[in-house]
Amino acid sequence: MAALLPPLGLATPWLLWLLPLALLPLLLSVTRRSAVSSVAAAPEDPLSSGLRIALTAAGMLAIGGLVLALAGPYRAGERVTRTGIGAQISMLIDRSGSMNETFAGRQPSGAEESKAAASRRILRDFVGERAHDQFAVTAFSTAPMLVVPMTDRHDAVRAAVAAIDRPGLDYTNVARGLGMALSQFGAGTPGVSRALLLVSDGAAVIDPRIQAQLRAEFTKVQPNLYWLFLRTKGSPSITDKPAGEDTPQAAPERHLDLFFRSLGVPYRAFEAEGADAVANAVRQIEALERDPIPYTEERPRRDLTGWAYALAALGLLLLVLAKLAETDFVRTSARASSKRPADPAPANGQAAAVSKRAAA
Amino acid sequence: MSGPEDGVNDEADIIYLPRWRLDGYRVGVHRGRDAGGLGTFRDQVSFLRLPDARRIDLRASLRDPFEGVFVRRFEARSPVETYALVDLSASMRFRGRADRRELAGTFCTTLARSATRIGDGFGLIACDNTLRDDLTLPATRHRAAAQAAAARLSEATCEGRGAEGLLEAARRLTGRPKLIFLVSDFRWPEALIEQVFLALALHDVTPVLLADSSEDEGLPNWGLVELDDLEGAGRRLVFLRPSLRRRWIAREAGRVERLRRICAPFARPPFRLADRFDAEALSRHLMTT
Repeated sequence: MAALLPPLGLATPWLLWLLPLALLPLLLSVTRRSAVSSVAAAPEDPLSSGLRIALTAAGMLAIGGLVLALAGPYRAGERVTRTGIGAQISMLIDRSGSMNETFAGRQPSGAEESKAAASRRILRDFVGERAHDQFAVTAFSTAPMLVVPMTDRHDAVRAAVAAIDRPGLDYTNVARGLGMALSQFGAGTPGVSRALLLVSDGAAVIDPRIQAQLRAEFTKVQPNLYWLFLRTKGSPSITDKPAGEDTPQAAPERHLDLFFRSLGVPYRAFEAEGADAVANAVRQIEALERDPIPYTEERPRRDLTGWAYALAALGLLLLVLAKLAETDFVRTSARASSKRPADPAPANGQAAAVSKRAAA
Repeated sequence: MSGPEDGVNDEADIIYLPRWRLDGYRVGVHRGRDAGGLGTFRDQVSFLRLPDARRIDLRASLRDPFEGVFVRRFEARSPVETYALVDLSASMRFRGRADRRELAGTFCTTLARSATRIGDGFGLIACDNTLRDDLTLPATRHRAAAQAAAARLSEATCEGRGAEGLLEAARRLTGRPKLIFLVSDFRWPEALIEQVFLALALHDVTPVLLADSSEDEGLPNWGLVELDDLEGAGRRLVFLRPSLRRRWIAREAGRVERLRRICAPFARPPFRLADRFDAEALSRHLMTT
């Protein structure tokens, strides 16, 4: 019901006290009155009675519309919650120095693009492909950086994504980044599909104590976890077992993967060794995240004065047409009155004066 | 003024002839029932019946084989009383091509002049719902008084909503038959029209139907007109168009026809007084009906 009847308001409500003026056409009419000896002389005519009602309504519409327009009606702005297809996606993007390199592990030169630039290009297309996705962007190197909180303003998100190919700094501290990316989801509504997209080209050891905290966080938020691993050519894969000791220090990627698998949340890792592979991985993620999501739409306050004026104009137009169609009952009254002489009232008896006036 | 251009002679008198032989001892101009005095030859009677030696008809006396003496008799001339019964209900305020009240005033003035000039009495009774005593004038041969009373009519106020006073007026018009002109627009209920004519049946009644060409033939073909009833029957918006105009005119003609039918047993046919009073036209009407 609330959706059917949007909240209406008035800029200057006291002007509505003038609204009873709209009843005036019931008492007065727009047309000139012609006095006749008997209205019964006119035959019954449904068209005329219909016109009378229409003109009265037009008069009421004109006055009412003008009063209403002066009062300034508007439909109040509101937030409308709707359901669309999309997900809350928290992007966690690696800003460590190695992201500046190409997939071949070199500084980019010529037509080559760095890992950061490639992921920027692909992620930028990803953002905004579906209207109702919500995004948060977090960057991390040594410390996490909140770039954009969870929002459906895709322009802001795209701008944030566009900034990720700025030269990166320092190291890869996944643990704190993950913590912040998880906190981006907030309390949120249940039933919303949540995805955490980690884009990184390396991994780091996660302290066991922090591991426990992260585990708890993941259990609470229950996001789908996607790891887009931008693998430099020649570097170890996620699944490669190191030749020596299998410790987190020796193969941080493999152990991060193992940690993710142990979280008990839906998890997929994409290992990309080039821009095409990254694009492919992003498409897959997009296809996976297809759940209904409630989103709020901000509907601005809308001025309805124009409509009120339009109604008044319609009424006035009808009245003007009626006025133009109006005619005099006695059409020759002007001629007759001009012929009536200015009686000089002759002194030779009242009878002569009377007969003269009568003759006119 | 406008006299020559439309062929109406403003100075003309209304010429009327009573339908019956008048009686009475006063001298007038109409044919009386009695014999006497000077005038038109009527018949010859025996001297024994009318011993008036001045009027012995020698030729008739000599012609009589029985040697009787004959005396000529002449018709007595008697006056008749004319009355104008004027409906002063609010609808008389109508102004079309002509002011209806002024039209009635003109008619009464002319009648007063025509009647008093030949020694007939002129009386005026104005009515709306009741008798309007301020305007009523008993029949008089006093020329100035008759003119003044008729002239007062043009300035009279018309506020009444009906014409029932005419019944009361008819009760006042007792005595000898009179020549009565019933001046009204006859926009009354038909029952009232019939009652009034019935009440006046004793007299020689000429209904003078006040009309206006703007009410029928002069209606515009197209246009929006808001009618406001002078007798308070409300307002009505009418969208005039040729078909409605035809219906309107037919309706008005039907009304006049009904009036003619109602008054046929009691009175002369109605005289339509529209836009301008033409005394000669009324005279012709009175002569031919």
